[in-house]
Amino acid sequence: MTYVNYVVGAYAAFAIVMLWDFIVPRLQIRRELRAARLRKTRAAKRAEPVELSR
Amino acid sequence: MNPVLLWFHQLGSPPIFDRFAARWAPWCYAVAFLLMGVGLWQAFQVPADYQQGDSFRIFYIHVPSAMMSMLVFGLMAAYAAIALIWRIKLCEILAMACAPVGAAFTVITLVTGSIWGKPMWGAWWDWDPRLTTELILLFLYLGVTGLYHAIDDRRAAARAAGLLAIVGVALLPVIKYSVVWWNSLHQGQTISLFGDSKMDPSMQLPFWLMFVAVQFWFAGSLLSRARADNLRRESGKDWVAKLAAKS
Repeated sequence: MTYVNYVVGAYAAFAIVMLWDFIVPRLQIRRELRAARLRKTRAAKRAEPVELSR
Repeated sequence: MNPVLLWFHQLGSPPIFDRFAARWAPWCYAVAFLLMGVGLWQAFQVPADYQQGDSFRIFYIHVPSAMMSMLVFGLMAAYAAIALIWRIKLCEILAMACAPVGAAFTVITLVTGSIWGKPMWGAWWDWDPRLTTELILLFLYLGVTGLYHAIDDRRAAARAAGLLAIVGVALLPVIKYSVVWWNSLHQGQTISLFGDSKMDPSMQLPFWLMFVAVQFWFAGSLLSRARADNLRRESGKDWVAKLAAKS
């Protein structure tokens, strides 16, 4: 195979950018859902009656 | 109402769009992976070019990405125009989701083109009209993304960035015809969607497989990114809390 380093380099660059494009939206979705879960937990804690004690 | 039209209107609802995107994005990626696998395998089965040797195999990732870099920008501007005219929130989201995917395709185009250019032209880079306009396209994508994230009000940000996308469309014909208008280093059009191609038919199959694969990839990525932005915008709503509790 001729120019093998260039071919490998180009395909590696393609794979890296595509992988980034594949992973980033998944992480964003996971982060948003996690944030929504935490918000719900915080809201539920705030709604609990607070017992005062001495 | 026409059922297709009704479905289209319903898709504008954030929870319905979320279900739609969550359902179809994995399928788009699956088809893209399958076609890319076959396309890339085929790309290494065809004989080497008699002049360029094996470096011509870079063509199979460079050209589909270059075509997508322009197609995505056109689509982004179309979504932005619809969002500006009819104030459809989903179109704002879709327009802004196009920008990072289009930027990714532009980066691939520039990097793979540069890697191909070194052995063929003897230089990594040249301020050739095609290369320069493609670089400006990348800056436009980055500008749209940057502007969208620089303004706190999501809707105002999408309108401002959308306007930049619409203005930027003027660059697309310059990129497309740069190899015709100027006698430059970059070669002329090798392959055409609707006309005659200069490439031997025996070498074309991997290209078409890759071209269809990147379309599906784009659809998957667009749906996923739009879903993430949709969830961010709707973060305080009940349906997001219910969805988060289920996941």
